Amino acid sequence: MAAIGVQPLEALDRRAGGRRFFRRPSLGRSALARHEAKWGLIFLAPWIFGFFAFTLIPIIASLIFSLTNLSLEQTQPLRFVGLDNFVRMLGDHTTWDSLAVTFRFAAFNLPIAIVVPFVVALVLNSRYLRGTGLFRTLFFLPYVIPFVSGVLAWQGMLNLETGWVNEFLRMIGVQNPPNWLQDTTLIYPSLAFIGLWGIGAGVIVNLAGLKGIPTELYDAARIDGAGWWASLRNVTLPMMSPVIFYSLILGIVDVLQYFLVPLVLYNGTGEPGGSTLFFNLLLYKQAFNFQNYAYGATLAWLLFAITLAITLIVFRTSRRWVYYAGER
Amino acid sequence: MTARLFRPGVLLATFALVATACGGSNAPPSPSGAASSPSAVAREASVGPATVPPGGPVEIRWYCCLGGGEAPEQKAVEDKVVADFNAAHPNIHLTFEVVTYDQANGQLATELQSGNPPDIVGPVGIGGANAFHGKWLDLAPLIQKTNYDLSGFPSNVVDIYKLDEGQVGIPFAIYPSALFYRKGLFEEANLDEPPHKYGDKYTLDGQPLDWNYDTIRQVAKRLTVDKNNKDATQGGFDPKNIRQWGLELQRDDLRGLGAYFGSGSLVAADGKTAQIPNDWAAGWKFYYQSIWTDHISLTGPQFESKDINPEDYPFFAGNVAMSENFLWSTYGVGKLDDWDLAAVPSFNGRVTAAFNADTFRILKTTKHPDEAFEVLQYLLGDAAPDLLKAYGGFPARTAEQAAGIEALQSQFKNQVDWQVAVDGIQYADNPNFEAPMPAYNESLGLVGSGGKYLTEFGNKPGLDMDTEINKLRSDLQAIFDKAS
Amino acid sequence: MTALGAAAQPPLPIGRRRRFLPKPKETGKSFLFTFIVVIVLATFLSPILRSVFVSLKTPEQVGQLDAPQYPAVLQTFDYQGKTYDVYDVPIEGGLKPLALVKKGRESSQFVDPSNAAAGLITWQGSWRSLDRSWTFSPEWSNYATVWDQIDYPRLLFNTAALALIGMVGTILSCTLVAYGFARFRFPGRGLLFTILIATIFLPYAVTIIPTYTFFLKLGWVGTWLPLLVPTFFANAYDVFLLRQYLLTIPREMDEAASIDGAGPVRTLVSVIVPQAWPAIIAVAIFHVVYAWNDFLAPLIYLSTKPELQPLAVGLAHFNTLHYRNQAFIQAGTLMTMIIPVLIFLVFQRFFTRGIVISGVEK
Repeated sequence: MAAIGVQPLEALDRRAGGRRFFRRPSLGRSALARHEAKWGLIFLAPWIFGFFAFTLIPIIASLIFSLTNLSLEQTQPLRFVGLDNFVRMLGDHTTWDSLAVTFRFAAFNLPIAIVVPFVVALVLNSRYLRGTGLFRTLFFLPYVIPFVSGVLAWQGMLNLETGWVNEFLRMIGVQNPPNWLQDTTLIYPSLAFIGLWGIGAGVIVNLAGLKGIPTELYDAARIDGAGWWASLRNVTLPMMSPVIFYSLILGIVDVLQYFLVPLVLYNGTGEPGGSTLFFNLLLYKQAFNFQNYAYGATLAWLLFAITLAITLIVFRTSRRWVYYAGER
Repeated sequence: MTARLFRPGVLLATFALVATACGGSNAPPSPSGAASSPSAVAREASVGPATVPPGGPVEIRWYCCLGGGEAPEQKAVEDKVVADFNAAHPNIHLTFEVVTYDQANGQLATELQSGNPPDIVGPVGIGGANAFHGKWLDLAPLIQKTNYDLSGFPSNVVDIYKLDEGQVGIPFAIYPSALFYRKGLFEEANLDEPPHKYGDKYTLDGQPLDWNYDTIRQVAKRLTVDKNNKDATQGGFDPKNIRQWGLELQRDDLRGLGAYFGSGSLVAADGKTAQIPNDWAAGWKFYYQSIWTDHISLTGPQFESKDINPEDYPFFAGNVAMSENFLWSTYGVGKLDDWDLAAVPSFNGRVTAAFNADTFRILKTTKHPDEAFEVLQYLLGDAAPDLLKAYGGFPARTAEQAAGIEALQSQFKNQVDWQVAVDGIQYADNPNFEAPMPAYNESLGLVGSGGKYLTEFGNKPGLDMDTEINKLRSDLQAIFDKAS
Repeated sequence: MTALGAAAQPPLPIGRRRRFLPKPKETGKSFLFTFIVVIVLATFLSPILRSVFVSLKTPEQVGQLDAPQYPAVLQTFDYQGKTYDVYDVPIEGGLKPLALVKKGRESSQFVDPSNAAAGLITWQGSWRSLDRSWTFSPEWSNYATVWDQIDYPRLLFNTAALALIGMVGTILSCTLVAYGFARFRFPGRGLLFTILIATIFLPYAVTIIPTYTFFLKLGWVGTWLPLLVPTFFANAYDVFLLRQYLLTIPREMDEAASIDGAGPVRTLVSVIVPQAWPAIIAVAIFHVVYAWNDFLAPLIYLSTKPELQPLAVGLAHFNTLHYRNQAFIQAGTLMTMIIPVLIFLVFQRFFTRGIVISGVEK
């Protein structure tokens, strides 16, 4: 396991949990710790068992694949090739180009993917909004649409000739509306916009977080004369920081593994002009379309390492800005 | 063979044992999955098909749909074929596995690599099968053993399936190309209909002209009309508001598009040098000019718009006057009542009509080659008329073509000149445009359906085609180099 | 605006529905706010409207370049055994609905539906410049056709069973594991949490083949087991979410319970779960939607067993190489969405209720 030997994430996330559960003074300190550890492991048991049963074997297999020349066609006998795949990967400019694409898009999309669901959740939680249940459901609606159908629906909406977006632009007098999905300058905004259709999940997470903020805190803030902005800054944001932290970590993982939308839209060709040749798309094509299992697994482990490194950094920063009320 | 012992299936079985038995146990390196080499399994041919072998019937899995066959109406026919087969063959239990076209390739790869492959695959085209080059069973020994009669097929069609892997297929359905056109649109424009006989001239404004791509361009311009009823040859024609296009080429694959201009291959005879056949380059330039200069063909965004082109090919919706396509595209023209077939135009004095062929193949990994071949014979024999009708296929056996034509005609209100399609068989491209090339799937990403260059030509005006074609060749070469 | 959070309302007793009735002077603000949300939503949801329109179109309308966006049919007229479209022709000093029989570039021939016996009328001009009379007419039968063709009830049953069983497994296992991570201290916990999160760093595409092989060796391919059993063993996404949420719950209450002699299990059931309802509901919704739309895994494991497949796989039969009926595709998609949306409608009420309970207990 590559994870062994790296600094445990939670050691960095020091404020997280971890207080003793039992406070019975009659028990000795070590007996108490043993008791707590026993219960902790009991609760973790389902996952630990599942990890060994279902997750570990495929992971190890993919690591072994990356050291072989395994492919469907198998023009040469299957054998271990050492680090040949890794050498090929690091020497191929496509690897670096696609990483650059991934990071460029991440810089653009990640803030949107975190802030917009948060804002929508605030709106849906606002007492100025009438018919909250209906609006919640409506914002949630697109999230239920099967992924590919959703992408195809937006492909239709953004079509140069007959899409509603351009029909609308022509109606208000725009002579030559853009070809949204084929223009290298508009492609990332278009993709980010399509991504917002899956906003339902993020909204629910944020809404659940907002619902968990004790009302006394707002009452206290109001008594202190805090306005809307001060309440947001001093109550909502700190209380929501664990949820924002969760959104950030998953947002990073998602954006680093981003590939499905361009796969559906451009059949994985990276059009327009290579701007959608994401790293994970390259990986998917190698592993799934071209059936170069060994090389696909090699790329996957690079992505694994990059994701782990970035996540570790974010966890390291988290103690400065994530507040857990369950800890004192 | 080391390769065979080291199959991932065995590898993983070993892991599974180690992991679940909490380590320590010596997993025997038994090549359990490896012993399935079909040539090694010298089975006796089950002579009496009406007897159930001890241990119950042999399970044979038929995998569909690397190239169509998954539509609900088709599936109904296939299910019935399977049921009929099982009723008549107690020694074999045939099961049918449908995976839709988009996923069929990946699913079959997963099953193959994981050691759970089906026995029979089809219907599959030449290109679809190339993605699994090296996996198909050479049928020659079985053909010999059962005295299967191949004499009824045109020999050039049998030879399509003679590859370095052996005789990997027996012809089933063939799809010659033709020019589909709508009579009503010619009538409205006061134009003669395109020639039905190869070699006939076309009369335009009283002038007899060779039926070639220059002529068809002239005709297509007359048939390209804007919303004010002005055609593309008239002043004031508004290319932004076209209501009817003159000509659509077959744009699923740049190789296929090229194959209507001449036969060729993207890989040289040495099997590793990328090349662009001159005829194909000329075809692509014709295509590019048709879209961006003459406006006789749809642009990429128009083609992709479900409002303009709702069902795969724009000809189906009725807004296109002429369209080069394979005979299988008859599945979509039923809504039109004035379509017919005409000759594909010639290029440099030579006619080439791109050719598609589908059949069922047996995978090398099958444990029961004899029973699989028995199923194959059934699909190509007793079940063929029903299946061919469901797939819109043209029977490969010359003697059955008359019946096949009748079956096709029965689906349409208008009388169609099917002889055009029959004549097209002799102009089939050779080598076939779908012939193998290195790193087949990856190369297809450049020229195939949704491929990089195909998309680019349809979406970007103002390209220098010579530069683009050179770029395509060097991109292809890079893929070929990596593959070797 | 003093507090955007609805939670700023004082807690109400159980049983009383919370209604946000702004004070009269805030009504105007409220309407404006709601209005803006409606505008944003309309843009956001317009593709769904488009898809509803398409799902109700006849095959004749699809692909007609001058057709309206909404489902509509053309007026037609049968003349001598053939059907012709009716156009509004400027003739005899007014617009007259005539059936276009013979199209021409400069002049065309029409027949008057009200007086067909009079024969063909020639009109000079471009027929393409004429208007056709489309009338709004939704083709509801598209839905019935899809229902029949894909054996909708069976697929629906399979999908619901897979989604609900998996939901139970996910909630049970993830709550237990998240509780373990959030409230107990033991050696190696940090490492285990690292491993848990890291399991989602490796892209799915490269583990498909080994996972499939593994389930094949277990004999589970062709059954629901590969889709259901793992849900009972927790997953990183939901454990992480629940852990984050549990960590925001103040400890006073667990501690009070433990002083009262409650063990860890009772504390979980009687203290933690009631507090964590919003997050648990969120996990439930995520799993249902995920399972409802999951395509690749059911396809891979159930490709030989059509009778066990869920809707997502069954519907794909409409998105096929040789069968692209736009109306059917959209109708099928919309029909698939209905149940998850209803589930959400029901569940989102729990969102509110869960909070009221926890608010009261404080």
